[in-house]
Amino acid sequence: MASDYFSNAKKKSPLTPKAVEQMPHSLAGLSYKEWRDSKKKNHKMRNIRWAFLLFMNLLFVASFYLDLSVLEGSLSGSRLIGFYLMDPYNALQLLAVSSTTGYLAMLTMNFWIGLFTILIFWFILGGRSFCSWMCPYHFLAEWAEKVHNYLVKKKKIKERTYHIGLRFVFLVGFLLLAVLTKNLVFENLNVVGIISKAMIYGPSLLLLWVLAIILFEVFVSRRFWCRYVCPIGATYSMVGKLSPVAVKFEHDKCGYCLECQKVCLVPHELWFVKRGAATQDVHFVGSDCTRCGLCVDVCPGNALTYSVRGASSLL
Amino acid sequence: MEKEKNSLNRREFFKGGIAAAGTLAVVGTATFLLDKNAAQSMPREDFLRPPGAISEEDFLYGCIKCGLCVQICPVQAIKLAGAGEGLGFGTPYIAPRVQACDFSCDALQCVETCPTAVLDFRPFKEEGVRAVEKAAAEPGADLSTVNPFEVQKVAMKEAVRMGKAHVNRNTCLAHKGEGFKGNPREDNFEGVHRSPGKNEVSASPLRDRIFDREVCDLCITECPIGEKAIIQRRSRSGKKLVPHVLDGCTGCGVCQMVCPTAEPSIVVEPF
Repeated sequence: MASDYFSNAKKKSPLTPKAVEQMPHSLAGLSYKEWRDSKKKNHKMRNIRWAFLLFMNLLFVASFYLDLSVLEGSLSGSRLIGFYLMDPYNALQLLAVSSTTGYLAMLTMNFWIGLFTILIFWFILGGRSFCSWMCPYHFLAEWAEKVHNYLVKKKKIKERTYHIGLRFVFLVGFLLLAVLTKNLVFENLNVVGIISKAMIYGPSLLLLWVLAIILFEVFVSRRFWCRYVCPIGATYSMVGKLSPVAVKFEHDKCGYCLECQKVCLVPHELWFVKRGAATQDVHFVGSDCTRCGLCVDVCPGNALTYSVRGASSLL
Repeated sequence: MEKEKNSLNRREFFKGGIAAAGTLAVVGTATFLLDKNAAQSMPREDFLRPPGAISEEDFLYGCIKCGLCVQICPVQAIKLAGAGEGLGFGTPYIAPRVQACDFSCDALQCVETCPTAVLDFRPFKEEGVRAVEKAAAEPGADLSTVNPFEVQKVAMKEAVRMGKAHVNRNTCLAHKGEGFKGNPREDNFEGVHRSPGKNEVSASPLRDRIFDREVCDLCITECPIGEKAIIQRRSRSGKKLVPHVLDGCTGCGVCQMVCPTAEPSIVVEPF
């Protein structure tokens, strides 16, 4: 399966779409509509993920208030049972500034250990898994998204989308700003860090900034911050480029209903679900995927599942 | 068709990219303007950087605002600055009048825990090693008289320089020749400290302590450093016994916390 990693599946010629009698709803003996809506109320992965996210974030709080010493610090930098963990974009900014000021040599061994531990950890678990499984802003944004989708459905507002590559403009831009102003500029606007620290150390005025972003997402553009801005997510998407843990797509189980794209934060990564788009019998969702599992929950044919790339050839 | 889609995509990217670059430029300018004020306003009285802090200029970018120093401090002397501090938002500070650093962690844990070394542990470590070597080289020294851990502990805390205490002669009770009886702070004061005279293992609330001194000398007896930092001596007229701060002062601020006058008569000024 090693070829999955490197082949450019998008450039290949597409497979022939399945005929009606081969479609999963025909095989199951259901009408197409019945089949499509059969898993609308399934929220298993989402509930597991929310429970995990809340548990981890509350573990930060409990570690401080109850002096548990399990997960100290905040999402900007922390220590899990004594092992340091660093926010990679924060570290990247610091390294960028340090390289110009000669501060680089000052950084402690704990810093390097923390940075590499987190890179390896999230590389294995899929890069942007951090977003949907750890990030407290993601949790809030999911609720904002529900309101936003409702407003769009009721035709109160118009959907606005932007180019997905803008994240990398911000990623490079904030690094440049860090060097130019000798300041971790993004850290002051980082909604992830602000929420994490507000939970642990008490609220601050900067929560107003978070509120502003959430209102923007509700009324203007769906998941604006996560999709187009957040350089932390962009960093993790680079980290997770070749991650073994990924969502697997099986063409023979797909009914081309596109329910998965509707719930997805990064629908462009599910390009192969459209009728006549898949080029292989099996596709893996790309590095922008947060492994949130919304598509896994909603897929009526179970064509989308969590999997470990290359595991089948190893076993 | 495919080509048309690509060029549309590219146009969309440039449009968004220009907006993004504009936003970044505004943010950058704002940071630059705020930066000028930030470096001037910190540190200052009642806003001391924790032990081992490097130069303020480097501190502002080196600190990743994780709060590990806050969490490890056993007396919770370290706080994170609010949004009012501008760019210093989220950086750690000590307000000694509210809660001073009393060294009851014994090992400068906030410094050791800092992953980016804006609280730099190396000088303290070196100081500790030097002190142990020196103690071991004394004639007749052996393990029964020299406890390396104790020696290192003391040497490390004595090497701290957060600032230096200054006595206000106009309000200081000792300078007025007055004594002090009772509890130095308000009844609901929440600060804690480990008194050197009481041989405590950990810090206890200051409000539980009652003092009775003929001439007020709380800043001298409660100082965690002792005679290297502050001593009692005759005033110039020779009539009064007053506190005198020496160069060994670490700026921990315990004196500022225990001072019984309404406005503290001894205040740590950061370097």
